[in-house]
Amino acid sequence: MQSSQKGLLKVYNQDVTSKGKLAWCLSALLLAFYIDLYYFEHFTPLAQALGLQNKWFLYGSLYTIAIIVGGLFFLKKHRNNRYHFIRTLVIMFTQVVFGFTIPFVMKLFLGHEYYFSYFWPLKMDYFYPSYIFDQPLALVLYSFIGSLVLFPLLAFFLGKRFYCSWICGCGGLANTFGDSWRHLSDKSEKAWKFEKVSIYSVLVIAILTTLIVFTNWAIGESYPTLSYYAFKIQDFYGFFIGAIWAGVIGVGLYPLMGTRVWCRFGCPMAALLGIIQKFGRFRITVKKDMCISCGNCSTHCEMGIDVRQYAMNNESFTRASCVGCGMCAHVCPRGVLKLENKR
Amino acid sequence: MHIIIIGNGIAGISAANEIRKNNSEIKISIISKEWDHFFSRTALMYEFIGQLSRKDIEPYERNYYEKMDFNRISDEVKKVNSNNSLELISGDHLSFDKLIICSGSKPTSFPLQKKEHKNVGHFVTINDLEWLKIEAKRCKEENKEAVIIGGGLIGIETAEILNEYGIKVNMLVRDKWYWPIALNKDEANLFAKHYKEHHINVLLETEAKEFIEENNEVTAIKLSNGEILEVGLVLITIGVLPNTNFLEDSDVKLSEDRFKAIEVNEFLETSHKDIYAAGDCANVTWFNGVRRPEQLWYSGRDQGKIAGQNVLGGEIEYKRGTLYNSAKFLDIEYTTAGLVNFPIDGLEEWYQEDVKNYRSQRVVIKDNKVIGFNMLGSRWNHEVFIKWINEERNLEFVLANMEEARFDAEFSTRFEILETAARYAI
Repeated sequence: MQSSQKGLLKVYNQDVTSKGKLAWCLSALLLAFYIDLYYFEHFTPLAQALGLQNKWFLYGSLYTIAIIVGGLFFLKKHRNNRYHFIRTLVIMFTQVVFGFTIPFVMKLFLGHEYYFSYFWPLKMDYFYPSYIFDQPLALVLYSFIGSLVLFPLLAFFLGKRFYCSWICGCGGLANTFGDSWRHLSDKSEKAWKFEKVSIYSVLVIAILTTLIVFTNWAIGESYPTLSYYAFKIQDFYGFFIGAIWAGVIGVGLYPLMGTRVWCRFGCPMAALLGIIQKFGRFRITVKKDMCISCGNCSTHCEMGIDVRQYAMNNESFTRASCVGCGMCAHVCPRGVLKLENKR
Repeated sequence: MHIIIIGNGIAGISAANEIRKNNSEIKISIISKEWDHFFSRTALMYEFIGQLSRKDIEPYERNYYEKMDFNRISDEVKKVNSNNSLELISGDHLSFDKLIICSGSKPTSFPLQKKEHKNVGHFVTINDLEWLKIEAKRCKEENKEAVIIGGGLIGIETAEILNEYGIKVNMLVRDKWYWPIALNKDEANLFAKHYKEHHINVLLETEAKEFIEENNEVTAIKLSNGEILEVGLVLITIGVLPNTNFLEDSDVKLSEDRFKAIEVNEFLETSHKDIYAAGDCANVTWFNGVRRPEQLWYSGRDQGKIAGQNVLGGEIEYKRGTLYNSAKFLDIEYTTAGLVNFPIDGLEEWYQEDVKNYRSQRVVIKDNKVIGFNMLGSRWNHEVFIKWINEERNLEFVLANMEEARFDAEFSTRFEILETAARYAI
């Protein structure tokens, strides 16, 4: 039983995973936590009392604990599937090592931290000249080659899943701590239409912001107006997209709208890698005539892809938004779907 | 032109879709009372346990009928008249130019079962699901056990969900082992180990002889072995029959066997020139010439599509090639292709099993050519198997190329020939 789901999921029978009272309370709590974290300093004394340098490391520890505990729960249910087993271990490892330990130790000994698992355009700051050119040359190369060469290549050959479902911390939290809410993603056509407008708008804004900031770095000294707006747009991006959307809304709405709200509607990295994926090797192969239209695949797709329509029509497919978590194939009671990298 | 489709299941909706795809003008009416939307009957078990919601088991969005301009009539057909008209239960009359009957199946009734038994039922319709939600809750609260009569696929699926729900399940199977039309003795033993691990009590070669009742409730069942089993809930899962009662006095000819399926030719036309039938209710010719309804999801879809084209003047034949199917017995997935349990002379088999991991592979061979595959516990692409059968490959070729047919998730362990693998005549 290496692919099939063991046991059954009872998500709609539990209050907290079926938008019941508990789900609303938890969502409110998460939203409040994020707002406080981003805009107030209540967590700073607590962080210091725990011997952490600042509130962001407190957040980092909580985030890492959520991924480990959630990951263990996920493994308990789905470890018979080796794709999920390996993938989840990698998520947990990446978070512990690259998402927490290395930055923590760096901060301790070097005075500043670097998150090696984040790249442009998800981590916009790492591409801003004011930041990156203060870093050692090796890091500059790491960031540039990773963002512009290595990741696009990997997305072409493996699909964007190599990042979104294996390495990325946002995806990592969604697939561990958030996994029991994955079925709440909106599958309607309306949501898909909104998604296309929204995610590519963010990508355009991210690219424009980067270009403007770079232009300002090159020639801004002689153009004070450009400088003014460059800082404004950089601020807006950091506030609205980086904090409000990715953090507050992205995680805060887990119990109500599913786990990938940010990844699906807002992440510029997911958008960029998705376009590459569309032209690349990754696809979901549909086995002919075996689909019984039950809807497990669509329901448990965290990206809101209506997988069932493809399966019912015997159509193998690649969708730009698919993060390749592998759950559609896993929950299929007839083994109709397979994630593959094919020529 | 007015085309009426009786039935809103996979055959009916496939026929309607096909007609609309080819003609945007024709008036299409769909008559069904069960549920306002097209839903996947195979997914009722998932709704019961809470893995899917009602909306999740509906493949289309709820505005689908308006979008496709299907006229949806919530009613039941009482009679089909020879003058191209229908009489509905509500008393309404409808006339049609063409009619496609996709009335599906109804559960086979069990001789001991009476209408007034409130804790005895089937698991086929939306109403059955609603009934089971109430009765299962009561059964669990009263700390009673459930008995499932019949050892087929719906039987094991209901056993699985009731077991997960927290009710102790007993399953009465008439045969020597579970589902002998699909599994041989070795495979059944492998599965038996699995259901025992799940604490499902399967009683083989056992039948219900008598229902002991109290206030319209079956409280105990007397078994063929003399034992008495106390029960809180009884599910009858002994198969389904074509739902064709409403056609008995019409000029649509039904088969004379116990199925009473609608006789159709290769174009799915019935004995009445303007009436077609598709899906579970239609009597079609099988690969070996036998006439029987084909009660599968994908054949319902294919037949519906073909009826939809032929009703518009197409001349497409319905032909079924090599048999194939899949299922899931608790956690064990099952794929089959070709002939695996047919009594033919001169057969050989190659079989191996990995009991610990609930995996087995069986290849059936005749005259040194593979003719069938029966696989448990891992995923396989039946299309590759069918290709090999059609190419008349030998066992050596098939075993050497087995990875090509694998459909398990990435990183799964590779196919291996075990030391215990054996080839033998049967």
